[in-house]
Amino acid sequence: MARFIPGLALALAFILAQTSFTIGEWEQGMIIQFGNPKRILKEPGLYFKVPFIQTLVRFEKRVLTTDARMAEYLTLDKKRVLVDHVSRWRIQDPLGFYSSVRDQQRAMARLDDLISARLRQETAEHNFLDFVREKREAIMAVVTKDTKETAKAFGIEVLDVRIKALDLPQEVQASVFARMRAERERIAKRYRAEGDERAREIRAGADREREVILATAYEASQKLSGEGDAQATTIYAQAFGQSPEFYAFTRRLQAYEKILSNGTTLVLPPDSELLRYLQNPQGQ
Amino acid sequence: MERRQGYGNGSPSDEITRILEDLQRKIPQLPTSGISSWVIGVVLLLLWLGSGFYVVGPGERGVVMLFREATEQTEPGLRYRLPWPIQSHEVVDVAQVRRAEVGFRTVSDGISDRGGRGSTRTVPQEALMLTGDENIVELQLFVQYRVQDPVKFLFGASDPEGILHTSAEVALRSAVGRNTIDYTMTEGRMEVQEQTKIAPQELLDAYQTGLLATEVRLLVVDPPSEVRDAFHDVVRALEDRDRLVKEAEGYKEDVVPKARGEAAQMVQQAEGYKAQRVIRAQGDAERFLKILAEYDKAKAITRDRLYLESVERIMPNMEKFILDSGAKSGVLPLLPLKGLATTPAASPPERESAATPTAGTER
Repeated sequence: MARFIPGLALALAFILAQTSFTIGEWEQGMIIQFGNPKRILKEPGLYFKVPFIQTLVRFEKRVLTTDARMAEYLTLDKKRVLVDHVSRWRIQDPLGFYSSVRDQQRAMARLDDLISARLRQETAEHNFLDFVREKREAIMAVVTKDTKETAKAFGIEVLDVRIKALDLPQEVQASVFARMRAERERIAKRYRAEGDERAREIRAGADREREVILATAYEASQKLSGEGDAQATTIYAQAFGQSPEFYAFTRRLQAYEKILSNGTTLVLPPDSELLRYLQNPQGQ
Repeated sequence: MERRQGYGNGSPSDEITRILEDLQRKIPQLPTSGISSWVIGVVLLLLWLGSGFYVVGPGERGVVMLFREATEQTEPGLRYRLPWPIQSHEVVDVAQVRRAEVGFRTVSDGISDRGGRGSTRTVPQEALMLTGDENIVELQLFVQYRVQDPVKFLFGASDPEGILHTSAEVALRSAVGRNTIDYTMTEGRMEVQEQTKIAPQELLDAYQTGLLATEVRLLVVDPPSEVRDAFHDVVRALEDRDRLVKEAEGYKEDVVPKARGEAAQMVQQAEGYKAQRVIRAQGDAERFLKILAEYDKAKAITRDRLYLESVERIMPNMEKFILDSGAKSGVLPLLPLKGLATTPAASPPERESAATPTAGTER
């Protein structure tokens, strides 16, 4: 008897292994009997099944991610964009899921097709810039909503679809860079021209200020000189007015001294006032 | 980590029969005495029971599962659970602040969770994004996060950290797409950061990741390398503008005071001229009046004296010809040989005397 104990225990363990199973916290399962689904197990824990004739299929219960490959779309204004979308989903109905797509790999492919098609349609109805700017959320919401509906057929609940990246194709990028460069060059030119403008303004202002200062000073100095001249004239007039005749005489003598320089030739008649004693000591 | 493995338990029945065969082959070799087999059985049982001990480290949280159903969470310390396959456990670090990097990767295995931007490498396909005015900008961002709910973290979503990364990217691109490049690069930077902060947490909750984003920070907001030069040139142009203005102001600072100095000089000179004129005039007047006073006393004498004194001063250096007034109307009576003479200044007296005889005496 004791000899059979290990063998018996092993046989028991084998049957137990065939009849019992656990569903993990992150799983859900479905019992299939001869190809017909019998039970759907959504809660984690220990379960039993009829051995051999019932088989268990396990599915993910967690939120799953599909990160689609970047694809090119055409907008309403005929611009090409590269869109990379991400969808979050989970298996809602294991039976539907099992019968329509069977496994995650295929489910992802189908989902990707659905979303891409919807997105293509939606992209074609919007202008590029609207898409980039404010319509992004709206488009995502519409695509999410519609995909949610269609994916139900696969037993999938789509939580949402997000546009991860929205980019321009490589060759368009190059022209965008060229445009950005031109734009910056324009701004740089403007700054430099503005600098020049203000610099000239300041310089011209300085020159103007200098001219005004100098002219004002000239005015003042001329006025002062005039005053000096005027006062001098008054003084002269007062003094010389006492004897205009004597002034005329002395002043002429002074002038002669100045204007009759060396080398001037003077022709004198012998009977002139100066020489009147030269030939005639008696004078007359 | 068993949860990450697939469910590829191909054919469990085959496996088990193989193990059984193995065991049966080995059993006869064991010592068959009853006591030793019992000892072996007890030791195996103890080992099996002992496999239920596990350690939850500081800052960690244990999750215990009964038949793989999460039943309780355990605090740090030495813990016990029933051995496999009845109970199992997972340990999650809930204190560690983790870091997700968008647009770049820290090359030297970023264990340092803060600031350690030693050597990083940009990831262009993540970093380059489209702005609302159809420009392209390069951004780098990091998100710090920790596990808030270990059960959700383990079982809520597959790859929760990947979800966090993607959510941050989605939020960032969407925020950048709403703004212009200039705004994003300057005053809008904080706004973009804020927008990127709010959105991911909503998504993290919605996707049952059990993660809490504690900090979102934009590290780099730059023009792409392809156009960086042009952007730098704008900065240089701005500097140039300021420089030109400063230079012009310098010119002004130089010119205006100089002009003021020159003006002051002109005015001073004029003042001087004026004073000088007046004083000189007064002097001249004084002198004239003085002479006049004397002149009035003896008019004829003084007049003659003054006249002759002047003549004395003037005449010596002049060339003089004395001609009779009778010859006035005729042809020039004298050939001015002065230019031909070698020493004209030495001989005027002779010529004067030579000319004299012709001069008539009548008068």
